[in-house]
Amino acid sequence: MLVGPQSMEPDDTLIARTLDGELAAFEQLVERHREIVFRVAARIVGTDDAEDISQDTFLRAFHRLDQYRGTASFRTWLLQIAQNTALNALAWARRRPTDTASEPPEMADRDPIRQPAMELERRERQQRLEFKLTALRPEYRSLLVLRDLEGLSYDEIAEVLEMPLGSVKGRLYRARGELIELLRNNTYDWELPA
Amino acid sequence: MNAGDSPADDLTPAERRLTEHLELLRASPPIVAPGLVPRVLRGVRWQRAIRDPLVLVGAVAAAVAEGLSALFKPPAGRS
Repeated sequence: MLVGPQSMEPDDTLIARTLDGELAAFEQLVERHREIVFRVAARIVGTDDAEDISQDTFLRAFHRLDQYRGTASFRTWLLQIAQNTALNALAWARRRPTDTASEPPEMADRDPIRQPAMELERRERQQRLEFKLTALRPEYRSLLVLRDLEGLSYDEIAEVLEMPLGSVKGRLYRARGELIELLRNNTYDWELPA
Repeated sequence: MNAGDSPADDLTPAERRLTEHLELLRASPPIVAPGLVPRVLRGVRWQRAIRDPLVLVGAVAAAVAEGLSALFKPPAGRS
């Protein structure tokens, strides 16, 4: 792994070096963007499959690197590949019959002696929220992940999802509404005002 | 969240509450496995190694198919 001034090179320089055959430059690009790619993948498909999705994303990016035009940032371009790969994986998984859980899985460690009550409750709320997020339709889920969890701008999201800005805002409004409804129809009180 | 977007982002009270709840997820992001980068690079090396021979095989197959179709094509003008 390269450290020092070389690791501060802009993405465009690293892309050019990769296209010249320097695998070390691509390694830096992967290092630089792996966390956000993994987080987005994990929020869309779940942590179990996120590593595969991330790997596919970077491999696809590598083979299509000569098609990257630089009109959007490299991060945006990567996230576009990541979210398409993740949605395709979900569509593929939906075609296969699986057991659909109606409740979040049990927490791994419920021992009150080993975990203070507040931490237990925090983890339970987090788990319930993650579960409700997976109940959203995938298109809405990725929109919420990009905006409300990763903090991308509307412009960036429009680039990633390849849709007009107005559609991004409209869908985001509906996505949040759907998640709010899912949380309201839950035994757990999320204290969501009307 | 991008500060430049906030004026257009008028949230309802329920949306604001939802955003507070989502902070729980933002605060505990999924952690990327340390083996991801070596795995990606192994994949790149392997795929790069087989890409050129595969392209060559594809080109040869296409040429053979084209040759065969030319050989067995009925002569022009024959009804």
